[in-house]
Amino acid sequence: MELSGSIAAEPRPSTALLLVGGINKRFGGVRALRDVNLEVRPGEVHALLGENGAGKSTLIKILSGVHAADSGTIEIAGKPVAFDSPARSREAGIAVVYQDLSLVESLSVADNLLLGREPRARFGFVRKRELMARAEAFLTELGIPLDTKATVGSLPFAYRQMTEIAKALMGEVRLLILDEPTSSLTSDEVRILFDAIGKATRRGIGVIYVTHRLNEVFEISQRVTVLRDGANAGTFVTAETDMKRLVNAIIGTDRSAPAASRVAPAATRAFDPSPVLSLSGVCNDRLSAVDMTVLKGEIHGLAGLIGSGRTEILETVFGLRPVERGRLEIEGRPWLPKGAADAIDHGVALVPEDRHVQGLVLDHSIERNITLPRIPHFSRWGFMQQRAAARRAETAVARLSVKAQGASSLVRTLSGGNQQKVVFGKWNDPRPRVLLLDEPTVGVDVGAREEIYAVIRNAARDGSGVLVVSSDLVELIALCDRISVIVDGRVARTLQRGEIDDAEELHHLLQMYQASGQSALQELPA
Amino acid sequence: MTELIAPNVVAASTRSDRRRKLLQNLLRGERPYMLYIAFVVLLVVFSLSSPWFLSVDNFLNIGRQTTLVSIIAVGMTFVIIARQIDLSVASTLALSGMAAALAMSQINNSWIVGAVAGLGTGALVGLLNGILTTQLSIPSFLVTLGSLSMARGLAMMVTNTKPVIITNETYFAIFGEGSFLGIPVPIAWTLVAMIVGILLLHYNVFGRRIYAVGGNPTAALYSGINTKWVTTAAFVLTGTLAGLAALVLSARSHAARPDVVQGMELDVIAAVILGGCSLFGGRGYILGTLFGSLIIGTLNNGLVLLGVSSPLQLVIKGAIIVAAVAFTKR
Repeated sequence: MELSGSIAAEPRPSTALLLVGGINKRFGGVRALRDVNLEVRPGEVHALLGENGAGKSTLIKILSGVHAADSGTIEIAGKPVAFDSPARSREAGIAVVYQDLSLVESLSVADNLLLGREPRARFGFVRKRELMARAEAFLTELGIPLDTKATVGSLPFAYRQMTEIAKALMGEVRLLILDEPTSSLTSDEVRILFDAIGKATRRGIGVIYVTHRLNEVFEISQRVTVLRDGANAGTFVTAETDMKRLVNAIIGTDRSAPAASRVAPAATRAFDPSPVLSLSGVCNDRLSAVDMTVLKGEIHGLAGLIGSGRTEILETVFGLRPVERGRLEIEGRPWLPKGAADAIDHGVALVPEDRHVQGLVLDHSIERNITLPRIPHFSRWGFMQQRAAARRAETAVARLSVKAQGASSLVRTLSGGNQQKVVFGKWNDPRPRVLLLDEPTVGVDVGAREEIYAVIRNAARDGSGVLVVSSDLVELIALCDRISVIVDGRVARTLQRGEIDDAEELHHLLQMYQASGQSALQELPA
Repeated sequence: MTELIAPNVVAASTRSDRRRKLLQNLLRGERPYMLYIAFVVLLVVFSLSSPWFLSVDNFLNIGRQTTLVSIIAVGMTFVIIARQIDLSVASTLALSGMAAALAMSQINNSWIVGAVAGLGTGALVGLLNGILTTQLSIPSFLVTLGSLSMARGLAMMVTNTKPVIITNETYFAIFGEGSFLGIPVPIAWTLVAMIVGILLLHYNVFGRRIYAVGGNPTAALYSGINTKWVTTAAFVLTGTLAGLAALVLSARSHAARPDVVQGMELDVIAAVILGGCSLFGGRGYILGTLFGSLIIGTLNNGLVLLGVSSPLQLVIKGAIIVAAVAFTKR
């Protein structure tokens, strides 16, 4: 993808459109944002970078009025503003385009653009013709190639996103926030999206562009702000920086050092080289021929960008997605997972990505959650052996050092790290043959993180094969014996320990494979 | 009022750990005492305002009148905890009653045949509700709205809306008019349903699964629970209990009629919600449901004794249900 000249126009050096000063935000014991500053100029595309949990989404939620900052100031065009609701933020001219779009799929593009602002005749009837004409005129003025009569639900994703952007621009929008807009787009669709962004900035609208894809930063943005651990890690003029410097800012040089020390004990561990899980040519709607093996006692990492198919590999092994083609073996025996219950019976365990939605019943006690996958083990003639279940839960709470009053505490009352330990507790005993971990430390504070690493290492030492997905590359390098790079639903390369030393290198590798993967896709015949 | 209840609980906990555990199991709920307080307030108000209210006979009366609602509400508790709803219970009752009476009149006039036909029909309707809800992913509100109409229609079709007379004396004795250990059988059957419900929900593996499926279906699925089967089983249980209620009603009136208990599903659902079940799933307990049902029954009974006109009774009942739910909701 080459640089599009129309977009990289010089930002007007006028006063800042948005000025965020010294924002702080705490969630319980976790400091999500510490004295964060951000300045966006009119007509500028300002990229916002950072690892998961660095504070990007919190900052966006504060700007969009979902959360209130604990302290700090927000100014729009020099005027201080305070948002207590998303409506107030919208009135001030801030529009957020989320990944999950806020369109009514059964209505037409024109209906969506003017939703709630329809031109009306008497008795609340809609002037359909005027509505169509206004939508048409607006899209033409903006130069966006959308059919106003098309039903939104029938449009490809990029066009829906364009409708969303057009809808945002319909009101008095001054600042547009795009959160990972390209994660589910094809490269052609990315092109369309970038054109639409260019049209917005030429009207003097400022854009905050959140992404994990560094090549896009260089293509579309004029400046970049990097957040790390909830604080500013630098603001750069895109044209004057390079990928290496950005990666350094994202990962932080200070974190590479402890990572190196953490590598040592894992490296000396000898493990039985028999494969506990192997996949060959596994295909389904999201995977295209995945080949990999996980050895007994090995911690095997999956690195890749969001949407690359990392999570889908775990879900397929856990029986949540069908295997359409290819072979799967557990301890050398062929096996086709028939569902989660079947996977659990075969000794496969999953700590899912979203513990609130997939991992826990928040309003139930720790004990109920921990015994959930093993209910039949705690029953005689169908009746719960309540004492045995309680004892097991107490043991797990002690072993994983969950900080709670007891196994009867509600999971909702625990901190993120302790909730995650409860999810691990579900699979603690009996030891799983294959332990699948999806982003095991997201939303977990630093102290609890180390404890979770210890839990993972113990599982591997006890003979489980561990397959771990993480966007935190420092974490992957510290934990894993081998790392497979996933691009477009297949393993692009498997790295041995020692082949790669630091997160920066891995980051470059990912970006490289992502870029080559995309161009490879373009070369494929349709 | 709080003092009325608190000492009992304290005493129980000092007596033994087991007792406390049992009480916790039975009285669980977000604000467990609100419900019992409401019930006691209701009793006090009616006792003061009507001289006939406070008598053993009248309480037995309330018990008998609430039987049908209480029995079915036990099943509905499972369904609502599992995040579903069953609107078809009253029609299922009517259809099951017809099936029981017709089966008896066709085959040997045997009460066993009648009982099996009644319970089996109820279970079958429940099974269909469950399968349509889980396999076709149709919201249970719509599935059971449909079966509400279909089951009632079938009940009317089989005899062209005529009632079916029942003549089996044993059947009357077992389900309607006899007594067991001095308890009138309808109340005894209610107790049976309750005890089975408590064992299943609070002590059985099935109960754990029901709570998990309603509390967070995705987490339950990710924990290897067959959420579809569990949900279907809750519907089957409710249908079967509607069948049991049909046996009780038809034995009491010596006949099955296709047009009975229209609209009773609302009383059943109100009882369950009053009893502390969350319509969002994952929360609820059987004893709460019983008290919910008793509150509704006591209201009906007390308002009649006070001579309140029946249209006004409806208005008062509705208002009290909404107010009670507003007070007890999370």
